[in-house]
Amino acid sequence: MANPVLQRELVANLRSPRAFALQAAFLLLLGALVAMAWPSAPRLTLANPEPARRLVDLFFIGQFLLASLTAPVFAAGALTGEKERKTYELLLASALRPAQIVWGKWAAALLPSVLLIVSTLPIVVLCLPLGGVSLYEVLAAYTALLAALACFSLFSLLCSAHFTRTTAALVTSYFCILPPALVGVALWQLLGEWSSGVRLALFLGVLPALSAGACVLFFVLTSRKLWYPSDIGSEGRDIVDEQQELREAVGLVISRDEFPDRLFAPAKRTDLLPDDANPVLDKELRSELFSQGTLMPRVVIQISLLLAVPLMGACLYLIPIFAPWYLAYVLLFNMLTAPVFTAGSVSGERERRTLDLLLVTTLRPGTILWGKLFSGLRVSSVLTMFLMWPVALACVLVPEYYANLPTFAGMLAVVAVTCIVSSVVSLFCSVSFQKSYVSLTAAYLALGCLYLLPPAADYFARTYLSETPAASAVHTAAAASPFSAVFAFPLEVKNPNDPNPNAPKLIRPADWPLVAGYFAAQAILVLLLLAFIQRTFRNRYDAAGG
Amino acid sequence: MIELQNFSKRYGDFTAVENLTLRIGPGELFGFIGPNGAGKSTTIRFLVTLLKATSGQGFVAGFSVGRQPMDVRRSIGYMPDAFGVYDGMKVWEFLDFFAAAYQIPHARRRTIINDVMELLDIGGKRDEQVSSLSRGMTQRLCLAKTLVHDPPVLILDEPTSGLDPRARLEIKALLRELRNMGKTILIASHILTELADCCTSIGILERGKLLLHGPIDDVYRRIQSNRRVEIRFVAVQESNNQQRGIAILRRQPGFVDLQIDGPKVTAEIAADEAALATIVDEFAAEGVRFHSFADLDPTLEDVFMLVTKGAVN
Repeated sequence: MANPVLQRELVANLRSPRAFALQAAFLLLLGALVAMAWPSAPRLTLANPEPARRLVDLFFIGQFLLASLTAPVFAAGALTGEKERKTYELLLASALRPAQIVWGKWAAALLPSVLLIVSTLPIVVLCLPLGGVSLYEVLAAYTALLAALACFSLFSLLCSAHFTRTTAALVTSYFCILPPALVGVALWQLLGEWSSGVRLALFLGVLPALSAGACVLFFVLTSRKLWYPSDIGSEGRDIVDEQQELREAVGLVISRDEFPDRLFAPAKRTDLLPDDANPVLDKELRSELFSQGTLMPRVVIQISLLLAVPLMGACLYLIPIFAPWYLAYVLLFNMLTAPVFTAGSVSGERERRTLDLLLVTTLRPGTILWGKLFSGLRVSSVLTMFLMWPVALACVLVPEYYANLPTFAGMLAVVAVTCIVSSVVSLFCSVSFQKSYVSLTAAYLALGCLYLLPPAADYFARTYLSETPAASAVHTAAAASPFSAVFAFPLEVKNPNDPNPNAPKLIRPADWPLVAGYFAAQAILVLLLLAFIQRTFRNRYDAAGG
Repeated sequence: MIELQNFSKRYGDFTAVENLTLRIGPGELFGFIGPNGAGKSTTIRFLVTLLKATSGQGFVAGFSVGRQPMDVRRSIGYMPDAFGVYDGMKVWEFLDFFAAAYQIPHARRRTIINDVMELLDIGGKRDEQVSSLSRGMTQRLCLAKTLVHDPPVLILDEPTSGLDPRARLEIKALLRELRNMGKTILIASHILTELADCCTSIGILERGKLLLHGPIDDVYRRIQSNRRVEIRFVAVQESNNQQRGIAILRRQPGFVDLQIDGPKVTAEIAADEAALATIVDEFAAEGVRFHSFADLDPTLEDVFMLVTKGAVN
């Protein structure tokens, strides 16, 4: 018998033209990229299949990262969406068993991504005649892709069952999926260079088996969570007891009264607000940001630190010339974190129907917006700057960096500017969209396009369109990205593999026009967005909902 | 205190409210009545400065809604029909937040918060999380929030929806108390019974048009062209007691209609009090026996049903 949950979800998805538009756009983009990267030599030398191999690798890694990013988007809101729409209780009280519900939600979340990936198969097959890649490797890549997708989707569904808000489920999913996704990419690349036989065995045998085991575990946990959920009744409100949470917390805990936690999570107020306080800022910092508990921020902090340790060791100490890669990680962390604390600040008020209460007070739009922006900016900046401590420490401990201190100061400035830009973009999305889930997804999409697309396009252009006017234009556009900017600072360090003290140093050349372009572009962007937010919010302030 | 002059709101081709003109005097408790979708909330959202008018203007406490929104906000306490509360806040923190948002000095805030909590009888919940409160308590908290800056005008959109009967009665008593304190109150509701015994004036809105408004007694008088009398006849089968009584009613010069419900007969008659006395005399003269003879006052439901056609936008 058909699963009614799956049927409903599929019908809802298929009724909208969005799914088809997304698929068409995705295939067109991939097709265009392959066409641009297609070897231009009149004769192909199958004895040297490097360009073809590089092309296929790029294709799979791109798809893998895309699948990792899209899986939570479809699955993390599957159950929290029901909670937010207040239909969760109706669903649980139906004759459907939890396993049926989980299965229906999982399949519905998985199918669009599976369809997206399978539909790219013809484009890959087109690349096979170029040589360098066997049919088995294509099979291994697709198996790994689908196995990872299934596992990531189900994990996101587990987060969706656990949290009451989609944003928390989405962010936790992203942070938990990020490490295995990065490990997967690294393994694919490293094993490809070392032994394609081992890679085949791993990606065709071990990885699917591991993924299947994880899927079973996540499925059981999600189903169990649906048996007696704590977040139903009384309109689905689950009151979080901070003390109990502290007692039950595994690993790190957040203590509002202690340094450094109080930097981003100030203690609850025990007295009335002072006269000069911004009530919105105070409310956001002390009550709202962690009102759903501290599980999500704890997961975020622990995973980010877990990833930071090996990266720090490798990039800052073992291979100092790779220092910008660590900074890139810090930027990626900020890109993932900033929207969490800002993208729901205005849309969340709309969803909870508190915006009208706020708007009829005598607070000025600027006061409300500043409170919203600064609270999110403060939390995300403090969390991001936690990851900058290793850089400061490295600047003291690694003599190679003494001569590069201005470079690190510049990189710190890039990180600081990124914190501001990420928060402003997120606030812009929060003001522009009605629902926090949409706002958060839009913020990620906007930041992805702003931060990741320019360097990716720059890399693609340098690799496949080198010495063309297009490559030069794309390189100029890379100034929009902080990732490009941190790599544009000069760095001069000793070669760690060469014991000779007089050996030539490893030099990363400076690209000052790009650095200058970056700061100018970000300043313009922030000013424009703030002006737009102020204008939009003033309109909404005067005419909320109409 | 509240005045609307030809207020209209259109969304594209759809007209939510059309040429609404209304005046609510100081100290009135005005019941804004209409079926769902009649335009009550649209009008209210305009008055509380959250909606721009397509045409027309409004004044609250002497301030123009369009030109002096900040002064209007200072003068009103607004409770929307659907509202939420902030997570992670205690009751006193919630009230302190809104008091600070209305720029009430710190020195006065503690007293004000204590006073409104006492007035609304939520002092016992002072240190509870607002998200853990029951629906009734949340309504009270929101009402307390509307009072923290002591506004002269209260605008309450469906303040008792979803409440149990006891909580409704308590809110009604509170509204009367607030009116006695001199507040002008506009209350929108489609629960007519709760407005009937506490409003001083009403306005009936349907399809964005104000069909009728004024002091509640005036409204009753204006719509009551005929009297309704309810007679409970004694059930005496062998003498056709009830039939003879009905025949007397039917032959009255102002007879309009009657409804029979067992021994109870409700007749609509265009008659003055002397004519009603004549009917009683005729019953006595012909030996028609009855338990009760009552001249019924119209109810707000009667007014509403008579004035509206049940049509909504």
